[in-house]
Amino acid sequence: MRLGSLFLWDIRFQAKHGFYFLYAVLTVLYVAVLFAVPESWKEKTAAILIFSDPASMGLFFMGAIILLEKSQHTPCAFAVSPVCPMEYIIAEVSSLSAISLAAAVVLASAAGADNLHIVLLGTAISSMIFTLFGIIIATKISSLNQFILWTVPIEIVCFGPAILHLFKITPAWLRYYPVNVCMEMVSGGTPSAMGILIVMALLAILFILSKHCVLKMWSSTGGVKL
Amino acid sequence: MIQVSNLSFSYTRQPFISDMSFFVSSGEIFGFLGPSGAGKSTLQKVLIGMLTAYQGSAMVNGIECRHRTRRFYEDIGVDFEFSTMYEKLTAKENLQFFSSLYEKKTRPIDELLEMVGLEHDGDKRVADYSKGMKSRLNFIKALLHDPLLLCLDEPTSGLDPTNSRMMKNMILAERAKGKTILLTTHNMQDAAELCDRVAFIVNGKICALDSPHNLIMSKGAATVTYTWIDNGEHSASCPIDRLSDDEQLKRLIANNCLQSIHSSEPNLNDIFMDITGRTLL
Repeated sequence: MRLGSLFLWDIRFQAKHGFYFLYAVLTVLYVAVLFAVPESWKEKTAAILIFSDPASMGLFFMGAIILLEKSQHTPCAFAVSPVCPMEYIIAEVSSLSAISLAAAVVLASAAGADNLHIVLLGTAISSMIFTLFGIIIATKISSLNQFILWTVPIEIVCFGPAILHLFKITPAWLRYYPVNVCMEMVSGGTPSAMGILIVMALLAILFILSKHCVLKMWSSTGGVKL
Repeated sequence: MIQVSNLSFSYTRQPFISDMSFFVSSGEIFGFLGPSGAGKSTLQKVLIGMLTAYQGSAMVNGIECRHRTRRFYEDIGVDFEFSTMYEKLTAKENLQFFSSLYEKKTRPIDELLEMVGLEHDGDKRVADYSKGMKSRLNFIKALLHDPLLLCLDEPTSGLDPTNSRMMKNMILAERAKGKTILLTTHNMQDAAELCDRVAFIVNGKICALDSPHNLIMSKGAATVTYTWIDNGEHSASCPIDRLSDDEQLKRLIANNCLQSIHSSEPNLNDIFMDITGRTLL
């Protein structure tokens, strides 16, 4: 009940801040790009577009959301409410995944992707991973500049190998690298059982870490510079 | 409602709160008074379960604060000194959102807005509210789930005299309903008017704890100061409980020679300075 309410209010909050409008515009632009590239490039272009934007938007948007919340002292309100950190995290992760999935379904359809369900599953898992990274970083920083600085290493270790993996120019053992597993799914490929297992283990670790970080943020009452 | 025994807390190696013990009964308004950095907010954070690494015991509503679960907050309402609302949402949207976080039935939002005179501003974004309006909104947010314990941090700060009066009446009305209220304030007048008992906190220790009346009376009786003209202006003072012994005053009254007469009693601020040697700023 409370989780459902948090999820719906997160969607309302994101809509008020123009997230949906922004992604509607971006999706139209990306579809235009997909129509502009040669037919043989479409699938890989769609995979790169989905992975690098809708799927990873949580990394950047969680920073914005949490910094905004810190500046308005709402973490203090959550700290003295019956909301559990995990409920807050699941609501944020699922509401941002909803935007990722909506954009991904349009882009994958425009590219004529064969395994739409695998693409969407890959998008959802990637979105969860990036959003959780976003939560962990955003809870620890107090300004937008710090956030931008902290996201750079995440981008390097996540985007570089994944794009190289898409073009099959990575060593064989890197197919189990979690973001490579995600990229494989986003491009419509079926991942190995071991790959899925590793991704699930990473998700579990990120959920536990983010729970710890959110609880710590709620306990401290300082504001932030935006 | 609250039982604190040998409570100590420290942010560093230096103790910040040391060996505090007190209790607060149900239906009581209990005030924490002290200068900035004295430990009032830290103590409040311990009691609302935000700081759990303390020594000793702090029981609230029968629950040791360090072992509280999230259900603990179904019965606690906290009004922070600053706004904790989403600025882009309207007041009503904010209250609807925070209501939805509680399992118990919450109070009607329109009724609460009307209580603090915001019934015509409910659809306004909080970003467009003045400081006083935000303060009133924050207060009713703490009342939403009808909590047994209310923790109020400077509830009248930033309010004009009319709204300050309204706020104080609402606090007294909550007490009349049996709610326990913890009040943290610098404002001695509010404390004297609202609190059943107050604790003076300085350097993390309770220096005095009693009702405002008892603390004031402990300083001694009020004095009467009077002036008269007799080859220039003269003045004299006399304790109010020994007026009938003052022959000079009796003579001046009999001859209608008094220029002025004033009674003055010590206030809570005087007592605070007397006991702690510090002001409340």
